[in-house]
Amino acid sequence: MKQSNMINGPEFRDMFAAATNWLEKSASDIDALNVFPVPDGDTGTNMLLTMRSTVEEAYKVNGQSVSAVVQAMANGALMGARGNSGVILSQIWSGMAQGLSDKETFNGKDLAQALTQASETAYKGLSNPVEGTILTVMKDASKASQKQAAKNSGNVVAVLEAAVNAASESVANTPTLLPVLKEAGVVDAGGQGLFTLLDGALRYLRGEAELMRFRKPQLVASKIPMTPITVIAPEKVGADEIPFGYCTEFLLKGKDFELEKLKRKLVRRGQSLIVVGDDTTVRVHIHTIDPGSIIHFATTLGTVHSVSIRNMDEQHQDFLEMQKSRAPVADIEILAVAAGDGLSDVFTSLGVASVIPGGQTMNPSTKDILQAVNNLRSEKVIILPNNKNIIMTAEKVQVLTEKHIHVVPSRTIPQGIAALLAFDYEADFDTNTHIMTKALASIKTVEITRAVRATQFSGFSIKKKQAIGLLDGTIVAVADEPVDVLRSTLAKAGLKKAEVVTLYYGQDTEESEAQQAKEEIASKYPNLQVEVVKGGQPHYNFIGSVE
Amino acid sequence: MTVKIVTDSTSDITASLAHELGITVVPLVVLFGHESFLDRVDITTDEFYRRLTQENIYPTTTQPAPGAFADVYQKLLKDNDEILAIVLSSKLSGTYRSAVNAVSMVEGKGRIEVIDSLLTAMSLGLIVISAAKLASQKGITLKELSEAIKMELPRTNTIMAFDTLKFLAKGGRIGKAQGLLGSLLAVKPVLTLKDGEVAPLTRFRSMGAAADYLYNHIACMSHVEALAVEYATTPHEADVLVARLGAIYPQENIYRSVVSPVLGTYTGPNVLAISFIEGK
Repeated sequence: MKQSNMINGPEFRDMFAAATNWLEKSASDIDALNVFPVPDGDTGTNMLLTMRSTVEEAYKVNGQSVSAVVQAMANGALMGARGNSGVILSQIWSGMAQGLSDKETFNGKDLAQALTQASETAYKGLSNPVEGTILTVMKDASKASQKQAAKNSGNVVAVLEAAVNAASESVANTPTLLPVLKEAGVVDAGGQGLFTLLDGALRYLRGEAELMRFRKPQLVASKIPMTPITVIAPEKVGADEIPFGYCTEFLLKGKDFELEKLKRKLVRRGQSLIVVGDDTTVRVHIHTIDPGSIIHFATTLGTVHSVSIRNMDEQHQDFLEMQKSRAPVADIEILAVAAGDGLSDVFTSLGVASVIPGGQTMNPSTKDILQAVNNLRSEKVIILPNNKNIIMTAEKVQVLTEKHIHVVPSRTIPQGIAALLAFDYEADFDTNTHIMTKALASIKTVEITRAVRATQFSGFSIKKKQAIGLLDGTIVAVADEPVDVLRSTLAKAGLKKAEVVTLYYGQDTEESEAQQAKEEIASKYPNLQVEVVKGGQPHYNFIGSVE
Repeated sequence: MTVKIVTDSTSDITASLAHELGITVVPLVVLFGHESFLDRVDITTDEFYRRLTQENIYPTTTQPAPGAFADVYQKLLKDNDEILAIVLSSKLSGTYRSAVNAVSMVEGKGRIEVIDSLLTAMSLGLIVISAAKLASQKGITLKELSEAIKMELPRTNTIMAFDTLKFLAKGGRIGKAQGLLGSLLAVKPVLTLKDGEVAPLTRFRSMGAAADYLYNHIACMSHVEALAVEYATTPHEADVLVARLGAIYPQENIYRSVVSPVLGTYTGPNVLAISFIEGK
């Protein structure tokens, strides 16, 4: 694409396909722009996955019309929305689709109008829009594009350029608007992601596609001087979070197999992946929760032989089957999001109809949640997101299904459990949502994790990998050992008045550590009932509830 | 005209109250292996809960034989005109069948009516007390009495906070509370009776929170006609609840009782319950 005044559908799609690849290169840098130095919902990854789903839909459209393409992209964004940033991005796409509806092609003026519509739709989608975020960046970019369009209405590149420059300025300015960013020493991650996307689209439009392959997007520096941040790549966790599943093995025969390509296609579908062989025969070994989809995928590549699917934990499956056979709730079913086999079992044992794997650093998409909703028998579904970054995604599900959805905005696992327990079997859908939402405030959540980077925060000087303790989302303790942090965090949680403390220990934490902590608490507060439960959650050594 | 009231031992009416109000209580039977005890007659509640918690054997229960009811009917009909027998839910026990079968054994047709209360514990007890009080009014007939009682049944229920559902599940009476089993967290399920069966209400993490729920349930009622508090092994918790309820209902009128061995077979120790007749 060279300088052009009219852009059609396929060109628009290619612009954002390139922009998505551009975003991919800095996704992990954007992930590191966390306000809290905790393993958290990864903004860069979430925006990237949302964009992938957006662009995939665009490729399904035939014809030249830009309105059809952008409408498909809006649908793709909505289905693929992950995390809060993904949901806002999907609203931006919804606005773009409205702005470009009925257009076969568009010029600079149309683009400016679409960007403005996108900004407005994004603001409207939030009950409480916060400035200094992706929203502000979108607004500033759209304003600049309008200004430019007024001067020179036809030129798309000029309009987009104005938007990109304004977006960059706006990102740099986010710490001025949002004090938490200033304190954490970062610019807003969502804003940075949006800038990177617009920047990528512009570069493609300028004909820099080749150049983009060898370059990497830059992070916008803050306007105000801040503590330098150490950017580290977050650990990839997806695979580790598959709590159980099937050991799936088979032989694939055919021709022209490319092992590396095959590996790349399979690696996201499970863990312990092994792909060996040559271009005609390949042996595949993978642990997955959905062997069917793997085999199905394999049959599209060649003939499948010697298939072996072995349940890796029969006992675990039996347990889940036993849980499934119950019908605890007559016409209301509850969905919960949780990571870790232990937490998943806890939710199941307390009667949720289905657990969607996910949580910190692995936010499920709107589509993931929608599918889980559609798999349920009930027409009335209550969703427990159990993470602040999943609440909005869950709320988006309502517009995609005929079923009645209520989201109880649980921000932590203990809040989700408290809400679940409060379920009243005699009360109706609305009343239960009310009762469960009220129950969120009945407990305090303690979370112990390790800092993903060094930072100054809330008066604490935190070193990378140090253990940090959060009480209801606020950092209250820092030390080298998780158990020490647990002790001091609990000390601030008001144990004197509490009745029950529950400790869920994570996948990297020994049960004995949790038991030891339990003994200490129990001897100090003899009236307190302390329970230790295997949570199996990644990243968090301990999640605790105090009630 | 005199109408006498008969019930079964799961109504948890104490012997002295039964005597005072002229109520005849037919005991069910609780068995530890081959040892059998008439409920509250051959075994005290203290002894029962001691054995329940210390011995490695789960007790079982059986309904009274029809003959047990027949004996009672026969004796009462000598000096009285009519009998109203009010017994525990037919969905939880065959006691109702025994009580009905006994009617033909004494040729009491027309003089005896048996009501399936669809209740048990002190909600049955409160209904029986109410019936006994009405029966003491001069000139009331069996028909009038039975109609009055049937009007009260829908407003009457028991809510129980369980320490564990282990005993309820073992005894096969878990009903719709099945889904509350197998929790990986220690929870205190709160159950009630619905259409004569056990049904779940909600769950708590501590008995304290569950007791708050019991209190709040009563506090939310605009009018309470009768109230009872029961426990198995925790009299102090029952006392605390009674004292709290005293703020909304005359404390001296709250019946206080211990869950009978036959019911305790299913509730297990540490259970705490309220029973009520809600005002119109």
